[in-house]
Amino acid sequence: MQMEKIIITGRGVIAGVVEGEALVCPKSITGWAGIDPETGIIEEHGNINKGKSIKQKILVLPGSKGSNGWSCYFGAALVAGAAPKGWMFTKIDSSAGVASAVMKIPTIVDFDESQDPCKLIKNGDWVKMNGETGQVEISRI
Amino acid sequence: MVKLSDDENRIIDGQAGKLKQVAMQNIVRYAEILDAQSLCEVTKATVFCGAHHYLDACKSDDFDVVFSRMNMASDEILTFDTTYDNCYIQSCVSPCDHHAYKPFGQPKAFFKKNRHYLDRARKAGVNIVGSCSPYLTGWLPVRGEHFVTTESGVTVIANSIWGAMGNADGIEAAFWSAICGRTPRWGNHVRENRAGTHLVQVETSIEGMLAWDLLGKAIGGKLLSSAIPVVSGKFSEVTFNKLRQMLTALAISSNCEMCHIVGLTPEANSIDGALQGKQALGGCRIDDTCIQEAYDAVCDSGAGSVDFVSLGCPHYDIDQLKKTADYLKGKTIHPDVKFTIWTLYPIKAIADENGYTQIVEDAGGSIHTGTCPASIGDRFLSQYDAFVFDSLKQAECIKSAGAKNVYYGDAFRCIDAAVSGKWEGRCRWKK
Repeated sequence: MQMEKIIITGRGVIAGVVEGEALVCPKSITGWAGIDPETGIIEEHGNINKGKSIKQKILVLPGSKGSNGWSCYFGAALVAGAAPKGWMFTKIDSSAGVASAVMKIPTIVDFDESQDPCKLIKNGDWVKMNGETGQVEISRI
Repeated sequence: MVKLSDDENRIIDGQAGKLKQVAMQNIVRYAEILDAQSLCEVTKATVFCGAHHYLDACKSDDFDVVFSRMNMASDEILTFDTTYDNCYIQSCVSPCDHHAYKPFGQPKAFFKKNRHYLDRARKAGVNIVGSCSPYLTGWLPVRGEHFVTTESGVTVIANSIWGAMGNADGIEAAFWSAICGRTPRWGNHVRENRAGTHLVQVETSIEGMLAWDLLGKAIGGKLLSSAIPVVSGKFSEVTFNKLRQMLTALAISSNCEMCHIVGLTPEANSIDGALQGKQALGGCRIDDTCIQEAYDAVCDSGAGSVDFVSLGCPHYDIDQLKKTADYLKGKTIHPDVKFTIWTLYPIKAIADENGYTQIVEDAGGSIHTGTCPASIGDRFLSQYDAFVFDSLKQAECIKSAGAKNVYYGDAFRCIDAAVSGKWEGRCRWKK
């Protein structure tokens, strides 16, 4: 069986090297009440990943969505032990910026259009990310 | 690298105390993530005070522990005892009505805890108002003024309608800014970044509050992340309430922070003006189908008995309360229905003065302040099976929380459902 590998690079903003299973939400996750912070399970009505947990995943998002309470639900998940290992945003926005400043988990942002992680990464891919260099290594069988 | 002024360096060095130092350190880290080069002074802030349910993740009832870990991202215990003198700061909704807990099935201990959290914020310099509509008490940043807010709708309203400058930020960062008086000079705080990016042509008539609410969702569903729409259409009879309804729905349906509406908002006298002479990156059209699809995605199909009807998201102003009272006068709410209207304390006081509260109460309903159904949460809502809202935001929030049946419609049709105890086909909105 052939292992496919793709490498993309964004702007690394919070250092640290982590790897794990990818969870990709191409339409992001809504802020207020989008996740259960105790479990990390996505609760947003209509989200394609509703019922899946962000806990210990590499979370891939285009940016934030919805309420200005976006960051606090992720911050609460961190305090409850249900945070992702690392995350990346196609394009940084202010809510995603605050959430990253709160979470302090490895974070990569601002990818070129041709390297959009929301398009190139699929749920279940194994992803290694370096929050200092901004490099993302995607492996899939 | 963020360039700091002497005053900002003084705060970072701890000369203004530990709390302001941590707040400034957080703002600088936030600025670095954004790639901002400097900070700007914040003179209007709304902050999210009270014992909100997401704070339960901290597993502590000690205000200082909760505040430090959850709002300041600090393991060191800090005391929230000061804010930035030059900033007009008021509180957003909390999970309790300011004066009642029994109608919501909340324990007295929780109500007291919430009161304690609010008191601590008040002592630190926050005006305890308890509203998602801070402008109704005079929180009105002017064009070019830098603000932070914890209410997503207010971010879009203040940027778009008043030309004030603010980003969505987040609940934590609003506290940081309210404490140290700074936010990254980035995004909407920079004039050039406020140019529209995408053209939205509205090819259908938009009449009434509900249609404006749906227009917000329809546009939000088509926007790319971080896009700034430039909306054009043949709009008539536009009011502030219609715009705030639309911009609130837009905010929760996307991550939009600013929306130009050609001919209506101050930075959009023309399409070219809104684009600041730049080329639009894309566009979309909104037609009858988009609006109807937006409605059908929110309002459950079919008909049935209802036991919870709620009006007022964003919080109603006094004229909305008047119109509601006028329509309700002489009617009786069905005995199986909880009928509530949500506003802020001074507006309710005016409603008391004008007799509107009496009309609502005589009919069997109630007016509440300082919170909303979604903010109060499960303990209250789990008592009910079928919900009716005149607000897309409430309907979407309650749906996400797992409610069984959620209906959504024009305010007067919501009142009809409260009176009959049924959501009927005729209540359903059609484009």
